[in-house]
Amino acid sequence: MRFRGWLLTGLLLITSGARADHMLMARVPMRADIAVEYLKTSIEEHGYAVAHVQMCDSGMKGFGFKSDTYRVVFFGKIDEVRRIVAAHPEFSAYLPLKIAVVAERGETVLSAINPKTFDMYYPKDKTMQVQFGRWYNDIRSLFHDVDQAARAKAKTSHNAP
Amino acid sequence: MRHTNILIVMLLLLSATQALALPDGHELYIRNCNACHQFQGAGGIGLPLTTKKFRDYSDDYLFKTIRHGRPGRVMPAFMEMSDAQVRAIIAFLRQQTKTRARIYDTSQLNGNPAHGKQLFQTHCVACHGSDGGGRGEGTGVTLSRKRAFLIMPPAISNPGFQAAASDRMIRQVIRVGRPQSGMPAFAEQGLSDQDIDALVAYVRELGKRAAKRPEMSLNEPPSHVTESPYDFETTVTNVKQAVVGANFRAFPDRFLEQGLIDEFSVNPRQIGIRFCNFNKLYDMLKIEPRLGVVLPCRITILERPDGKVLLVTPNLKVVSHWFNNDQLVELWERMEETFTDIIDEVTL
Repeated sequence: MRFRGWLLTGLLLITSGARADHMLMARVPMRADIAVEYLKTSIEEHGYAVAHVQMCDSGMKGFGFKSDTYRVVFFGKIDEVRRIVAAHPEFSAYLPLKIAVVAERGETVLSAINPKTFDMYYPKDKTMQVQFGRWYNDIRSLFHDVDQAARAKAKTSHNAP
Repeated sequence: MRHTNILIVMLLLLSATQALALPDGHELYIRNCNACHQFQGAGGIGLPLTTKKFRDYSDDYLFKTIRHGRPGRVMPAFMEMSDAQVRAIIAFLRQQTKTRARIYDTSQLNGNPAHGKQLFQTHCVACHGSDGGGRGEGTGVTLSRKRAFLIMPPAISNPGFQAAASDRMIRQVIRVGRPQSGMPAFAEQGLSDQDIDALVAYVRELGKRAAKRPEMSLNEPPSHVTESPYDFETTVTNVKQAVVGANFRAFPDRFLEQGLIDEFSVNPRQIGIRFCNFNKLYDMLKIEPRLGVVLPCRITILERPDGKVLLVTPNLKVVSHWFNNDQLVELWERMEETFTDIIDEVTL
C-alpha cells in the first residue's frame, strides 16, 4: 500500500510537467492595446471579473516619460477573494490577481506571478495549494486564448482581399 | 482501490508516452523562450539570438546556458527540462539561424591574467564593467524605453556564463567581436593571440571573484501584517498622509473587492491605498519591464470581524527575488525600508 502511494506520487511528479518559475510569460503577435481587449474577454469567459485596468503608460506620459502601451489588468472571483482574505488576511497583498500587458514593437508580452510560487508558503494548506494550481492553469489558459486570437486575427488579415 | 490501480496504469502509460515521444523544439521554444527572445530571435527582455552570434556558439554552450540560465540576470535556469528537450530547442535554434555548431577544444588556455587585467581595463571595462558584471540597467534590447546601450553587455563574470562558455569560445568572441552589438573585433584592433588569451584568463579570474548573489531567506514571509492601534478611518487617513510624506503620489482609493461585485455589495472596510512615484517607476521599468505584475505600490487596510485593523504590504525583499534580477533586488531593499518607515509612521 505504501509502495503504491510512493509510485503514485512519483508518477504524478513526472507527468505533471509543473514548473517552478516564479513568472508566467507569453508573447503574442498582436498590438498591446488590442491584446488587452482579448485578455479581458478571456478573463470573463473563465468566470472571473475584470476589476479594473491600470494604465501605467498614461501615468508615465502624464509625467513627461516616453512609454509605449503598458497596462495592468486586475481580475478575480469575489467568492475566492472573500474566502481567502477571511482565512489568510496576509494574502490580500496579492489580490486581485494581476497580468501585466507590455508592448514590444508590434507584439505584446503578458506576464503574471506564477501562483505556484506561493505553494512554499502554505505547505500544509491543501485548499490554498489547490487554489494556486487552479489559478496557474487559468492564467496559462488565458495566455493561450489571447495567443490563439492573435494568430486567428493575423490569418484573417493575411487572407483578406 | 480499483480506481487507484486504474490511475496508476494511466499515469504509467502517460509517462511512457512522454519518454518515447520526440520533443518538439519549436513548441518548446514557444513555451519557454519566445516571450523574452521573440520568435525570430530579435530579442526583447532577452538578448537577440542572431545568426552571427550562433556561428560562434558551441552546442555545449547553448545547452549549459539553457540549463544554468544567468543567475540574477533575468534568464532562469531551465532545470526541469529533460536533456532531450534542451537538445530539441538547440536543434530548432540551429534550424532558425541556419548555423551549425562550432566545436571547440575544451582544454584551458594559459594566458597571463595580470596582462589580461590591463587590457580589460583599456578595452572592456566601459561596457562589461570593472567586475565583468555588465553595465547599464536591465537586460535585453532597447525597446520603447531609453537605455544607455543598444544591447545590454553580457555579465561575463556571471556563474551561468562562466559555466557555459569554454576558454576557446571566449577567445573566438573576443577575436571576431559582436559588430551588431557594438563590440569590436579585437583581432582587428591590434590584439595578438597572446593578448586575447590573457584577456580570457582575466575573465576567468573575474568569474572566481564574482560577488556572492543576494539570497532569499526561506523564513521571510511573502507579506507583512501589522496591527494598527487606530480605528479604520484614522488608519486610512494616516496611511494617505504617510505615503504623500514619503514623496509618493496617492491614487484614488479602491476597495479590495471593487469591480469584482456590484458597488452595493462591496465590503467598504477593506481598502487599498495605492501610490506611485513616477520617477522611481520609470527607472525601475528600465531595470525590470515585467514589474507591472506587482504594481502599483499598495497598502491594504482590513477591518477584521473582531474590530482589529490590519495593514498588509507585500514583502518586497521576497518579491524582488521572483524576477531573477539582482539590480531589482538591490533597489527593492531600499524600497522595503521606505515601506517599513511608512508603516512605522502610520502605527506610531
